[in-house]
Amino acid sequence: MILSPEILTIYILDGLFIVFATVAFFLSISIIKSWDYNATTQLQYSLEKRSYLASTIIKYMFFIKLPFFLFFIFTLEKISLILPGAMCGAGVVNANEYATILLFLKLINLYLFAYWIVLDTEDMKYEEQPYLKQKFIIFTVMFLFLIVEISLEYKTFYSIDINNVVDCCGTIFSLTDNTYLSKILSLPPWILLSLFYFNFLLLVISALYRYSYSFATLNLLFILISLLSLISYFGTYIYELPTHHCPFCLLQYEYNYMGYFLYTILFIGTFNGLVIGFIKFDKQEVILKYKVSLLLNFIYLVVVTLYPLLYYFKNGVLL
Amino acid sequence: MIKLINVSKIYDKNVIALNNINLKFKEGETIILKGVSGSGKSTILSLIAGLVKPTTGSVLIDKKKISKIPDHFASSFRQEHIGFIFQKYNLINNLSVEENILLPLLPLNLKKIEHQKRVQEVLELFNIEEKRFALVKNLSGGQQQRCAIARANINNPKIILADEPTANLDEKLSLEFIEILKNLKSQQKTIIIATHDPLFFELDFVDRIIQVKNGEIIYDIES
Amino acid sequence: MKLQNIWFVVLATKINFYLLEYSLKYISRYKYKNIFIVLIMSTLVALLASTFFLSNAMKSEYNKLISNYPDIVVTNQQALRDTTINENSSYKILEIKGVSNVIPRVWGEYYFLNANKKFTILGKDEYEMYSNPLLNENLNLTKDSMVVSLNVKRILEDSYYDDYFNFIKADGNVKKMLITSVLEKSTLINGELLIIMNKESAKEIFEYSKNEVTDFGVSVANKNEIPFIAAKIKTIFPSAKITLKEDLKVHYENIYNLRSGFFLTVFIISFFTFFIIIYDKATGLNSEQRHEIGILKALGWRVGDVLNTKLYEGIIISLLSYILGIGLAFIYVYVMKAPYLKKIFLNNYSLISNYNINFSIDYETLALLFFLSVPIYIAATIIPSWRVATLEADEVMR
Repeated sequence: MILSPEILTIYILDGLFIVFATVAFFLSISIIKSWDYNATTQLQYSLEKRSYLASTIIKYMFFIKLPFFLFFIFTLEKISLILPGAMCGAGVVNANEYATILLFLKLINLYLFAYWIVLDTEDMKYEEQPYLKQKFIIFTVMFLFLIVEISLEYKTFYSIDINNVVDCCGTIFSLTDNTYLSKILSLPPWILLSLFYFNFLLLVISALYRYSYSFATLNLLFILISLLSLISYFGTYIYELPTHHCPFCLLQYEYNYMGYFLYTILFIGTFNGLVIGFIKFDKQEVILKYKVSLLLNFIYLVVVTLYPLLYYFKNGVLL
Repeated sequence: MIKLINVSKIYDKNVIALNNINLKFKEGETIILKGVSGSGKSTILSLIAGLVKPTTGSVLIDKKKISKIPDHFASSFRQEHIGFIFQKYNLINNLSVEENILLPLLPLNLKKIEHQKRVQEVLELFNIEEKRFALVKNLSGGQQQRCAIARANINNPKIILADEPTANLDEKLSLEFIEILKNLKSQQKTIIIATHDPLFFELDFVDRIIQVKNGEIIYDIES
Repeated sequence: MKLQNIWFVVLATKINFYLLEYSLKYISRYKYKNIFIVLIMSTLVALLASTFFLSNAMKSEYNKLISNYPDIVVTNQQALRDTTINENSSYKILEIKGVSNVIPRVWGEYYFLNANKKFTILGKDEYEMYSNPLLNENLNLTKDSMVVSLNVKRILEDSYYDDYFNFIKADGNVKKMLITSVLEKSTLINGELLIIMNKESAKEIFEYSKNEVTDFGVSVANKNEIPFIAAKIKTIFPSAKITLKEDLKVHYENIYNLRSGFFLTVFIISFFTFFIIIYDKATGLNSEQRHEIGILKALGWRVGDVLNTKLYEGIIISLLSYILGIGLAFIYVYVMKAPYLKKIFLNNYSLISNYNINFSIDYETLALLFFLSVPIYIAATIIPSWRVATLEADEVMR
């Protein structure tokens, strides 16, 4: 086990999260059990107060988790320097079976928490608080996910063994293995590319006609297709190396930390799109969300397309 | 239109503040709640302001059940429609007059110009413009009172509630206060004053006097 | 789209600057209590930051030192104890593809009884190029002359050896070596007790036979191939000890991490205590402050508004303490060169016993310190803030 200060910090904050999330969990349970909007009892008034505490705790956790996630990525990159064989975060993530799940789980939890906050804000706009019970039921699920995430985090860092040589991203994302990933990556580029652009076209159409469910679903697809096309095609133009298929190396200094920018706008854009499918917003809100989602996804599309285009203009050929 | 329907308020330790009260106030009325301290008149004011919730019964203002709605709505409602003048003014001593007056507006995130406009209005209206930047702790009793009244009016509320407003004032300042009340009444505001100062019982612009004792209404006279 | 709207969509919150201003004024109205908190917290942050800064400085100095080491050191062993190796077998290593250079090194330690000190003797031929530039200078090493570092010169002078020194060999005979020059600059090697002499003389002092050397320093062209080349060397010399430069790095990184970890634990304990104090005091449950909150609620402030104000307060105080703490640590470590703390970090196990603390900003350490201070402080204020914000205004006003 590596016990660097960074990992200790992660453990400490995780511990804090567990404590507070548990408090919020028990609050949620009591609210789900006994909330009765029409009651005028002391219990109801105290439940109302408790819902403020739970909501504050969840917001606090989200706003810390967000920069903390970046810190987590930094820590992975730092560990990759000590771990023999790893040259970027990908090697660390691949070092044991938990780490990949952990990464995805962290992302999912960020989405879930952000969704909860949006739901909460919507809920507070109306006197009847239509989403009250719903949001706390959702939180109990989120609590489970959070516990799993934190346990995985403890386990992952605990079991990183610096004596084990790990694969570098060249091996993980290679095209010659027999994994699903390599099968997808070795598809001719035009398939993924046309899916990518077509998906965006559909996004624009759904936004124009305000089809909220299809917009949300298309956003979900957009995340997947963007990531796949990034690893398979666009990434290679950022690295200017046709065999470099790693999603982590983008986060490094040599590539101007472009990875952070791309991932951030992709996640915020698709989050806003997704959330439209789950919550019924009023007209002004929803139009804003459509706009933001389209705008950010568009920026992502443009930036990512620019790389091969610029490469072509500079060099006259494509990779 | 303010209605209290079958309202009781029992605090911890089984202190009965109000016992099954029924009241109706019309818009534009000026009402005096008469009674000694502990009679429950302050509780009635707190209930109307939405500061406390009744143990049983409901409080309605313009058909809105403010005793039922969640706290953040009740607070918004209070902020918009009710101006409260406290017994001890409850100004923040280390802030200036202007800062005190602006307090109710801060959560609304209005533009600064709007703030300036409204502050200017009430400063002029209640005659404390020259003390705008002075700290409250350096003001005289009368000036503090005018500051408190200005603060209660910054939002142009429909309902003014005053709890023992003249308890710490001499006769001259009390009379000044009554003049201001007359002014407010002429703006069609509903004014409810909880007091046991006899100065109020003889006034001509008072519409009703309600005697409260031990949490119950003893009488309710139109004057 | 207004900036506020975009901010709202991105982070689902709007910052109310009026409330922020109110919090600032609130903090300055209760000056003494807040100054007390800021002082304690910044001291804690400064202590922790100092240990990290110091540790980082040592790490970077160490890395500089290590960068001049050969990538692989091959040491012969007999009965698992270090022993000498025959110079001629170096060709076997040179034959391995990817090896750029093999230096047969002659070096060791010599114990000077009078001063109870161990000198490091490095035997060097004129033409040999080391990665450490200081060792490549034209030192004019003749058969009986040596170059010593400053510390050695002083120690020898204390024992009245001014121009020369008598090494006592294993057989009891003496080898006299003239001191021709002194290394002024720091070479960062072994406590700065370095003596450089010609290889033959060193061999004579160590009683090595003609072809014996201490070890081989192997340089590899492509750093990624080091593990593979090391494996190959192992097959050629099964009984040899192969030390990789990387291993040294990792080893020392772990030691420094352990030390930092220790301080971190101390810090946690103190912060925990602090946490408990804050929990009670920070958001003000004294009657004056509760009264103020009651007034605000009576004026129409919602629970959310009061909570936000308290949270802003917490953020301002913790952020201020963080920045102050970092500032103090910067001054303590980089300007004052960390007296007292430095002694705790140095001991005989460090390869470096005296080093420079060079100014460098490590963003990750700053982020780490941030996460250890600000979120924890805010966490301590959540429940007290909530309690205050959900007070019944009515009770407070009576």
